[in-house]
Amino acid sequence: MTTTQLPTTVRKKGVRPPDRPGRPRRREGAAWVFLSPWVLGACVLTLLPMAVSLYLSFTDYDLFSAPNWVGLRNYTQMFTEDPRYWRSVATTLMYVVIAVPLQLALALLVALALRNMKRGRGFYRSAFYAPSLLGASMSIALVWRAIFNDGGTVDNLLGTGGWVNRPGWALFAVALLTVWQFGAPMVIFLAGLQQIPGELYEAAEVDGASVWRRFLSITVPMLSPVIFFNLVLQTIQAFQVFTPAFAISAGKGGPADSTLFYTLYLYDRGFVASHMGYASAMAWVLLFAIGAVTAILFRTSRSWVFYASEGDR
Amino acid sequence: MPRIRTKESWKPRAAATVLALCALLTGCSGPDGSGGAGGEVVLRYTWWGNPDRAARTQAAVELFEKKNPGIDVQTSFAGYEAYKQKLATQAAGGDAPDVMQLDYRMIDQYASGGVLLDLAEQRRALDTAEFEPGLLATGRVNGRQYAVPQGRGTETMVYDTEKWRAAGLAPPRVGWTWSEWADAMRTVAEKTGEPGGTDPGQSEDAFEIWLRGQGRALYTEDRRLGFDVDDLTRWWTFTDRLRREGAVSPAEQTTQLDGSVENTPLGRGKAASDVNWDAPASGYLALVPTGISLAPMPAGEDGTAGQYFKPSMFMGVAADSGHPEESARLVDFLLNDDEAAQILGATRGIPVNESIREDIAADLKDFDRTIYEYQATVEGRLAPPPQAPPSGDSALQTTFQRDYDQVSYERMSPREAAENYLIEAKAELRS
Repeated sequence: MTTTQLPTTVRKKGVRPPDRPGRPRRREGAAWVFLSPWVLGACVLTLLPMAVSLYLSFTDYDLFSAPNWVGLRNYTQMFTEDPRYWRSVATTLMYVVIAVPLQLALALLVALALRNMKRGRGFYRSAFYAPSLLGASMSIALVWRAIFNDGGTVDNLLGTGGWVNRPGWALFAVALLTVWQFGAPMVIFLAGLQQIPGELYEAAEVDGASVWRRFLSITVPMLSPVIFFNLVLQTIQAFQVFTPAFAISAGKGGPADSTLFYTLYLYDRGFVASHMGYASAMAWVLLFAIGAVTAILFRTSRSWVFYASEGDR
Repeated sequence: MPRIRTKESWKPRAAATVLALCALLTGCSGPDGSGGAGGEVVLRYTWWGNPDRAARTQAAVELFEKKNPGIDVQTSFAGYEAYKQKLATQAAGGDAPDVMQLDYRMIDQYASGGVLLDLAEQRRALDTAEFEPGLLATGRVNGRQYAVPQGRGTETMVYDTEKWRAAGLAPPRVGWTWSEWADAMRTVAEKTGEPGGTDPGQSEDAFEIWLRGQGRALYTEDRRLGFDVDDLTRWWTFTDRLRREGAVSPAEQTTQLDGSVENTPLGRGKAASDVNWDAPASGYLALVPTGISLAPMPAGEDGTAGQYFKPSMFMGVAADSGHPEESARLVDFLLNDDEAAQILGATRGIPVNESIREDIAADLKDFDRTIYEYQATVEGRLAPPPQAPPSGDSALQTTFQRDYDQVSYERMSPREAAENYLIEAKAELRS
């Protein structure tokens, strides 16, 4: 049977109408086989846990006894009875507002500097990118804590008494750690900058435009899709910041709750206090909040993101 | 042309792929611990601790295996925080190890969650006759013996012997009061220019001893809070004042406490004393070159002792263990066997078995000896231990620290922070 079918497939391949039923199904089958690791992974490791988490968010599950249905109690408790929840929301928002613009500005600045560099660009690109690879690790966060601790390097240089021990400063120490990992957006900026046609700058230069003028009138608009992409990505990441705060405050979000980020409080509720239901509810609220913020960014992007293809219309 | 395949030829491959993936995803599940020889009983035993405890435990377990042919014990250990989370996840998944080490604060939760076996069912395998009755009772929930204490420890004020002497202070004696303690803190600060000790305001353990010194308790018998806003306000006002005077550690130091001796002001060489449990106090030896001493905790102003002997940790057996009897036998061996006791020493606190305690006393060395002698000085002069704290308590310990942070950073008054704490504590205990 196989021998008779084989040539048929080959012969028909070239002439098959695209929407003809029957034939494509076989190829679909092969596709499913190759997709199966992903599909299985998505179902077992993502969709199923998500469904369970959604269910748990309406229960009082404590890991030990069977979950009890409590309806919206977790959500109402979160919004109306838990001041520490709101503190974690405020802390996270403040962090996003501080860290993301700083990080993107630094990434763009370094990308601009690297663009015109003739020699050693590969080296510097790797050197600046390295922190992004290492930065998410616990060890770097612990080193950071040692640097900003009292008696640490920064304290010895500036006599600040240790940033991570001061409620007003600890958030900045965490933000700095994020800003320092600007490698990923930098590489994307660099790629974006290389897409901008050189003639634009040449023309502007001939017209006598200053460096600043060229930056504002050519670089920023031409780069705006990339800026937007980085902004969305980094904002989403910033909302989920966890490791640095966990390491710097030994998991407590201190001092005096100044680094009690949303995810850290979620972790605390789930794994320290064993309120898995409450933690699940928090996770779903975070999902919707990130979705909403991303939607707002997309909405505003219409007024400031310029796509090259728009010019062709 | 590998792309062109017939149904007949790719289907088995697909099936094999899917099967292989399933095996990967489920973590190569097979019967647990099937590595042992055929017919052997395999027990899983987990605990938390440091490498020294691991080496001694491993040696004791090997001895058990030698004395009990046919039982194979698979051991694993981790640091406390990691252990706590892993065990909770295992228990939630119905996969608790056969024998597990438990903390005082875990007992209520695990027992009421149905994770633990009532050890009375295994009375023949596990003998508790030589245990102090008061200490044994701490492993009981609702009248059932869900866990047995493994060792006993008690709180202590650890101090830098040299600095203490330099400040002109005499070694504290059993029955000294909290105001005498406060005066000592001030004296050290005056004489050495450093705080006398760690600010105890952040420690729920210290607060409990202070509270008990006034005849009250952290929790009532029916698992509600045993104190009110006024009590906590008084405690935090007391410690806050000492902090403002510079007699105890500043907020920047206090907030760094994370359970390790390295991060305490005493361990960092920035204060003369610390309040801690006696077993972990051995860690200060390496950090305080001039030597340390252990002193009893202060008592109430009328001499009421708040300090007590606490079971340092427990052993429990999983309710759904396939080998409850063998598991109970392992527990019995680790707690009651003379040879095992020789190997284990005081690595989990001073043994709870009274005759073993006497037997190994002569052989205790170094800091094990110091702890033993310290416990001997307070023996018979402490209050009986309270019952195991209710489930919500492990989260409240952290909450206590966090709320006190607000006081020591002067963001809240002691009363505001105390009110906050009580609201959170009541919510925690209700659920």
